[in-house]
Amino acid sequence: MKNKSIYLLVLLVLLFSKSYGQEVNLDKEKAWYVPDYAKVQFAGNIGFVSLGVGYQLFNKVLYSELLYGYVPESASKADRIHLLTIKNTFPIYRKEIGKDLIITPIAGFTTSYEIGTNSFTTLPEIYPEGYYVPNAFHFTVFGGALLHKDFKNKKIFSGVDFYVEASTVETYLWYTITSSEVKVNDVFSASIGFNFYF
Amino acid sequence: MKFIRNLLFIAIAFTLTTCDNFFEYSVYVASVKSEQKNTTAKNLALLKDITISSQDFKFAFVTDVHYSYNNLRTVIEDINKNDDILFVVFGGDIADQALLKEFEIFYDIMKNLNKPYFTVIGNHDYNSNGSIIYNDMFGDFNYSFVFNNNKFVLFDDIIWESGKDPDFDWLADNLSDNLNYNQVFSFAHIPTYVSRDLTPEMIETYQSLMEDNNVSLSLHGHTHSYFYEEGDVDYLIVPSLKDPVYATVQIKDKDFNVELIEL
Repeated sequence: MKNKSIYLLVLLVLLFSKSYGQEVNLDKEKAWYVPDYAKVQFAGNIGFVSLGVGYQLFNKVLYSELLYGYVPESASKADRIHLLTIKNTFPIYRKEIGKDLIITPIAGFTTSYEIGTNSFTTLPEIYPEGYYVPNAFHFTVFGGALLHKDFKNKKIFSGVDFYVEASTVETYLWYTITSSEVKVNDVFSASIGFNFYF
Repeated sequence: MKFIRNLLFIAIAFTLTTCDNFFEYSVYVASVKSEQKNTTAKNLALLKDITISSQDFKFAFVTDVHYSYNNLRTVIEDINKNDDILFVVFGGDIADQALLKEFEIFYDIMKNLNKPYFTVIGNHDYNSNGSIIYNDMFGDFNYSFVFNNNKFVLFDDIIWESGKDPDFDWLADNLSDNLNYNQVFSFAHIPTYVSRDLTPEMIETYQSLMEDNNVSLSLHGHTHSYFYEEGDVDYLIVPSLKDPVYATVQIKDKDFNVELIEL
């Protein structure tokens, strides 16, 4: 299990280096690998709390983030849950609504990998082939709104985003599409979060 | 700072309007809602309120919903219309990925049933935190009850997902008073026929216990296909809810009659 996590981390780092290689030298003050912002999110099926860093890519068309999500025993009512998530947010348009204040409708998706004993990526040997489908990866889709505030006199952060989202998991979405017994409001839930810009 | 303060107010106001599933943290959580706990005990209490004058009655056996929720609802509505059926036994695989959401969907659909129901745990229900959820939502994995002088024994025979052997001592103990009853019916998710999940020794142990304790019928799911074997003990496997199908067992004093109902 430990090896699996290390491999995954290495893979993620490689993936990130590749996608962000082209950003080199665009911003002379900052090396390409330095993130644009730090993120904290509450709920959204990627952890009770998730923390991580994000990049604004392709001229701010895509916000891409690497997050670690944690669910304590008090919230899971079972063992602690650890999740690694790549979250992609697309700002749909930007509207200035006040001094240094911008509102943006957002939509996107996440990919989460559970590090731990709740799931597997390769079927344990005890089972006949195809007995279960791997269940360590889950995807969510979300939509919401984001408020961005620039701080003119930068002290620690140059700006902050606050966002609210409604999201669901791919399995839940499938159930609500295929069954009239599963209502849309049974499968969508809320999440909130902040991005702090460096 | 005023901006941050306003944001915090919004966030708090947002949180205060929460309903049950307003925030979800992970698909793997096991936080069963308090009103959905101890379902087996609640249904046993409901069963106590049912009294009948004759020895004849019917129960229904439904199994393996996975995610065929519409078919579960169809079957439940059909059972509701049939007043002869006094209670329902569900044969396991309540969930597919053993997610709390799946258990909740099952629970909500079963709320439409106008009679008590009892469950045995399936292999799919054991995965992830499923065994914790099952224990909270329903109760014990092995239990038995008596209705109208017939004994019903519900047995957990999941081995791979649970990492343990079936508790045959418990089964032997609970079948030992069989002579006190008109008939005894046994339920377990994995059958001793068709499926090769149980070891030959386990199959031998289970079937000997059935024979030695005068069990009339042993009912199962798991294989998703129909099977019937007649003998000293009869064995029934009911197909999954991939199609709207269930079985009824008509009990007549020392005799019984199985019917497969395909809707």
